[in-house]
Amino acid sequence: MRIYILILASIIILTGCSGDSSPNTPEVGNLTLDFNNLIGDNNLTLNSRVYTNNSDETYEVSELKYIISNIVLTSATGASHTIPVEDSYFVINQDGATTATLSDIPVGNYTGIRFGVGVDPTKYPIESGTLNFIPTAEEAGMLWTWSAGYKFIKFEGIYTTTTDEDEPNTFLYHVGSHGATLDNYKEVELSISKEITSTATASQTINFDVAKIFDSINTLSLEEKSDIQVDPENAPKIAENVQTAFSIQ
Amino acid sequence: MLLKLQKTYKQHLVYSKLKYLFYIFIFLSIGCSSDNNSSSDDEGYTPIPNPELTFEIPSNFPETTYDLSQNPPTERGFELGKKLFYDGQLASDGVVSCGFCHIQSFAFTHHTHITSHGVDGKIGERNAQPLHNLAFMQDFTWDGATTFLDSQPIIPLTAEKEMNETISNVLSKLENDPNYPEMFANAFGSEGVTAERMFKALSQFMVLMVSANSKFDKWQRGESVTFTDDEEAGRILFDTNCASCHAGSLQTDQSYRNNGLPADPEFMDNGREKVTGLPEDSFKFKVPSLRNIEITFPYMHDGRLATLEDVLDFYSDGVEDSETLDPILRQTDGSLGIPLTSDEKNQLIAFLKTLTDNDFLLDNRFAEF
Ligand code: HEC
Ligand code: HEC
Repeated sequence: MRIYILILASIIILTGCSGDSSPNTPEVGNLTLDFNNLIGDNNLTLNSRVYTNNSDETYEVSELKYIISNIVLTSATGASHTIPVEDSYFVINQDGATTATLSDIPVGNYTGIRFGVGVDPTKYPIESGTLNFIPTAEEAGMLWTWSAGYKFIKFEGIYTTTTDEDEPNTFLYHVGSHGATLDNYKEVELSISKEITSTATASQTINFDVAKIFDSINTLSLEEKSDIQVDPENAPKIAENVQTAFSIQ
Repeated sequence: MLLKLQKTYKQHLVYSKLKYLFYIFIFLSIGCSSDNNSSSDDEGYTPIPNPELTFEIPSNFPETTYDLSQNPPTERGFELGKKLFYDGQLASDGVVSCGFCHIQSFAFTHHTHITSHGVDGKIGERNAQPLHNLAFMQDFTWDGATTFLDSQPIIPLTAEKEMNETISNVLSKLENDPNYPEMFANAFGSEGVTAERMFKALSQFMVLMVSANSKFDKWQRGESVTFTDDEEAGRILFDTNCASCHAGSLQTDQSYRNNGLPADPEFMDNGREKVTGLPEDSFKFKVPSLRNIEITFPYMHDGRLATLEDVLDFYSDGVEDSETLDPILRQTDGSLGIPLTSDEKNQLIAFLKTLTDNDFLLDNRFAEF
């Protein structure tokens, strides 16, 4: 008899306990986001292929990196799952990791994804999580050195113009936030159709059309300006263009 | 006999089951409590007492800008922050600590050099700022390059001319140190040397640097102090000529302005424009707090003026015109600057000296040794 009481007691304790930390431990699964940097229909090739933008400038890309953050998945029922801030920051690097692996996602069907490009200025750095992203960002060269802020996108290479074809010039776009005034953080929302199960890691390809950095809502010419960093006029234009460059196949 | 044996065996079984259940029970409750208290982890670290430190806003001060609820200073967090602040290991040469450039007895400025000196004697472009009342500031450095105290240390840590390090390298040095891992655990309740904790500990140390006990503060709070005639005359002059920028208890309105210092051809430091990219911000710098000004010489962002007399001579005779010169420094008759007689200058200096807070400068909590 006493045994049964004890068993009962421990069951109560057991359920009380798990109820405290996570309600009925829902089944969870993993999702890998695979960022596919493209120009036209082809994968971006660094340092060797020559591309042309709408301003008739030819260019080669030597570096492309951007920060993906604050990822939220939405399901058909309208419910959403927010990846915790400390697990939600990634550097996508054409010359390195182009994936972001998300874990502990409740199983089910998801129909939408929302993410930030850059670091949300209202959230960093004191709201736990993002301070630990600093070393990662630093190793990827995504921190400014003169200021305590992030580069959201780093895009570099060489270019020639129609007027000066022999002499390649370097170009450099570093877009981020600095101080309290200039904020280039953008959010992207895309429709997906993905089932998360507890048995296999799902994967979702997200395309990033590199050509749109130059030509989308705004047109940027390298001849007009090839070095854009702390630039209240042009940096926001690049950020707007980048926001339109993501799509699902 | 057999019956008896059976009985004892049964009893034994019952007891062992009970014992078993008892263990499960204990195991469960332990599992449960460590689940709920996510900070203590499996390595078996037992947190030690770590009382929160009180942060009192002086009655003549505004609200804090620093969100103390996100990083409440604790005894051991402060202790860790202090050790980090004074530790040369944080720099590439093992010598240049934060405290090397920010010396307490000079209100945490660097004294012997005009602009700051970093590793290998490299000379920076700017005069080290005093550190006080940081919990009340909206943004930091002479041009506002950062809006958060927690991330401010990234700049000196990684700047080639200051500490010349990488954050990852600093963290691995701390991890391999005989003392830091334990200090981090004691400060934050679980094991782990992380960037977040390092920055938070530094902030806990710096946030408590409140300077609010100068003669001027006591006068503002109506405590029993009286200004001398010169100090009082200086105070009135200050109110009419200086307080539009060096405003309020903090002695700064926290805006960025060009006070007419001629551009320095050596550095061509365009100030706030570096951060905003806006031409209209060129040569603007943050209006500095004048607290403890008597001992934070040399003056201005590049430390070009040696004494308070030089500063006042500059305001009366040295202000240079430019497109971004602050309109307050243009007189109606077209002259520039702030007209001051030499008597008035002496009175102003007498007043400025009432801003010295010896309690703060000698406060043992912040002292290196
Ligand atoms: C080489 C000298 C040097 C070192 C080392 C140094 N600083 Fe500084 N500090 C400066 C200078 C110079 C400034 C002004 C920077 C500017 O305006 O660009 C400054 C500004 C600051 C400010 C902003 C104050 C304000 O009122 O806005 C804080 C906070 C600060 N330092 C903290 C630190 C900490 C923490 C460390 C150690 C991690 C450190 N400093 C290391 C020279 C130094
Ligand atoms: C138009 C706004 C304005 C007015 C008015 C003004 N100041 Fe300043 N003051 C500044 C700014 C901005 C700086 C920093 C300039 C720099 O470093 O380039 C400064 C710097 C100083 C400094 C150097 C502080 C340091 O830490 O190096 C002193 C001292 C000073 N002012 C005193 C005064 C006095 C006294 C008056 C009145 C006679 C006065 N100021 C009037 C804006 C002003």
